[in-house]
Amino acid sequence: MYDSSNPSAAQPSTNAMGGSAIVARGVSKAYRMYDKPVHRLWDLMLPGGPRGREFWAVRDVYLDIPKGSTVGIIGENGAGKSTLLKLLTGITQPTGGEILTRGRIASLLELGAGFHPEFSGRENIRLNCSILGMTEEETEERFNDIVEFSELGEFIDRPVKTYSSGMHVRLGFSVATTVDPEILIIDEALSVGDEHFKGKCINRLNEFQEQGKTTLFVSHDMGSVKSMCKHVVLMHEGRVLEQGTAEEVADEYLKRAHARGNERMSAINRQLDAYPRWGSGEIRTGKVELSNGSGEATNVFQPGSPFRVKIDFEATEDCHEPVFGLGVYRSDGTYVNGSNHLWRNEPIELGDVKAGTKGRVEMAFESLPLLQGGYYLTVFVYDHDKAAPTPIDHREHAATFEVHDANHLQHGLLFLPTQWSVAMDGADPKVSRD
Amino acid sequence: MHPSRPIATLLTAPAAPELPVLQLLRSLKANRTLLWSFVGRDLKSRYVGSSLGFFWSVVYPIMNLAVYLLVFQIILKMTWDADKSSQEVVLLMLVAIVSWTAFAESISRSTNILVDNQNLIQKVVFPSEVLPAYVTISAIVNMMIALPIVLLALLYAKLNPTDDPAVLAAAAASGHQGVQLGAQLMWLPLLLGLQALFSAGLGYFFATFNLFWRDTFHVIGVALTVWMFITPIFYPPQRMVDKDYGWMLEINPMHWLMDMYRHVLVQNQAPDPRQLLSFAAAGLLVFAVGSSFFSKQKSKFSDLL
Repeated sequence: MYDSSNPSAAQPSTNAMGGSAIVARGVSKAYRMYDKPVHRLWDLMLPGGPRGREFWAVRDVYLDIPKGSTVGIIGENGAGKSTLLKLLTGITQPTGGEILTRGRIASLLELGAGFHPEFSGRENIRLNCSILGMTEEETEERFNDIVEFSELGEFIDRPVKTYSSGMHVRLGFSVATTVDPEILIIDEALSVGDEHFKGKCINRLNEFQEQGKTTLFVSHDMGSVKSMCKHVVLMHEGRVLEQGTAEEVADEYLKRAHARGNERMSAINRQLDAYPRWGSGEIRTGKVELSNGSGEATNVFQPGSPFRVKIDFEATEDCHEPVFGLGVYRSDGTYVNGSNHLWRNEPIELGDVKAGTKGRVEMAFESLPLLQGGYYLTVFVYDHDKAAPTPIDHREHAATFEVHDANHLQHGLLFLPTQWSVAMDGADPKVSRD
Repeated sequence: MHPSRPIATLLTAPAAPELPVLQLLRSLKANRTLLWSFVGRDLKSRYVGSSLGFFWSVVYPIMNLAVYLLVFQIILKMTWDADKSSQEVVLLMLVAIVSWTAFAESISRSTNILVDNQNLIQKVVFPSEVLPAYVTISAIVNMMIALPIVLLALLYAKLNPTDDPAVLAAAAASGHQGVQLGAQLMWLPLLLGLQALFSAGLGYFFATFNLFWRDTFHVIGVALTVWMFITPIFYPPQRMVDKDYGWMLEINPMHWLMDMYRHVLVQNQAPDPRQLLSFAAAGLLVFAVGSSFFSKQKSKFSDLL
């Protein structure tokens, strides 16, 4: 236990924290919310306070981050990740508990954080270095490295306010990593910037790890956290819900994301009537239901899981040879796939459909090849009896669904069942037929 | 996590409680490089892109002077003491305007300086005490850039004394010396220093107060205007005494300061010791209160923004 009579307590010693770079013991942070801003002033000057309500952004957080580790902090928006980072960097003071850190901390909490917009890139490097407690000599020593790593070219002499967001990140990352901190804290900053710079950043972070430095990485993207961090802390409503290896925590995170995703999806799916719908109307489609392998309705899937769409319909007038089809789109509008039951090797032909007929169309496949993202379905009912198919009931955005990818084995839009083999020096190739 | 293991203390925790003022001064000293880079940058940014450059430091007070001369001397026909020539009156006004401009600028800028720099305070561990300090220093340096021109004008007035017989007669009767310029200028650095201390104290106070009550910034703007007009800058102090408002001069530190500047610069007289001591005491008190308030609330700044 923390012992204030311990002689090492008065003089911070590097041994006293053992092998830990950051220790948080029961750290909490309360913000006070006021109904009227002036109540804050009354609290300062008048008795009878405190007024306003307390909002606990972070509660009872215990952390022990060993020196040299790369730790990811994940959680949904408002889980207290950013507040925790502010506490760990010392920007804001905890309401309760204590935080112990060892060594210089450099942080990238937000785009352009710590930059003065009117200053040039060059001046901001000096400003940042001196904020980070570097002497002038140390700054001079590293100055060229910083400029070079940032790849800002002639922009280095222009005011930072003229920079693009990518340039901000480049400069911020260059400074934060070149000043040789013991602890580096990054809040989703890496998500901006081009692939080339991202690669450089990841190299830099790997070097960091090799040098036994500590990195804290915050994100709500499980994928990037998993690719970089062995140890993951999951936060929810200000508390640490779980911490452990990336695999353990990732499962818990996905379970929650799944539940939340389904809630959000069903809310979205209730409002789908707002999307355009047209056609001659002899047949009207009704409920569009998505379900998984075990047959239960869901709107959240994982890559490789079974996928089933059921569409109810009713014919209001006689018609001849209607064809049901389905289009799959990614949320950005990319047309992923379109199919129907006629244009197949074994077509299904419906012939005459009498008024009053009710039915159900089902489309299914065993393994969903889509990767992480949001998708929507468009339902087509077309009359193929004419020279060109004409719409009977065309429903844009008839249903939406999300794909959550736990493993992040592949990137992009589609999962491809790839085979790999590597041959070296004439030896038998190593083969992977995943 | 490891209850049995002793844990190091907070690295930022002070070893012993220290007076907030001293904490603030210590931090300023530790961050002096940062402070000067802010001052340098600020002075540069005033004139970057303007064709007259640093000349604006001089032009601005002179333009102000011209406006006030027009209003007070020509339109309102305000008369100063009979024993002062018109060029001396102009110089008395100019000296006060230069000093007041620096004072008012540092107060109004300091009041909003934390809000203006919330990007630094909320996103990095930033020594925020640097901010009001750099604004104050920048204003004083800007004032010093204007001073050589004021001194040249004083020199011109000294070399070309008035030949208005009415003024000369009145001056002979009262023993008034007209514009003088000499060794008493040595008081100038002390006066500038005390002005900086007084301004910084108010700056620290209002910068902090503004975070609790954002309207402070607007109130200060109005208050500074009122303060300027109740300080005898454009009219002789005697006017206030004659109208039974002499007590206002007694409690107005800025009047003491203006009076001292005028004595030192225009009349080549040492500052009145009572005014000097009073202003020094006011400066120290205001700085102690302002910087203590700032220092004590500093840990809350990122939450208040």
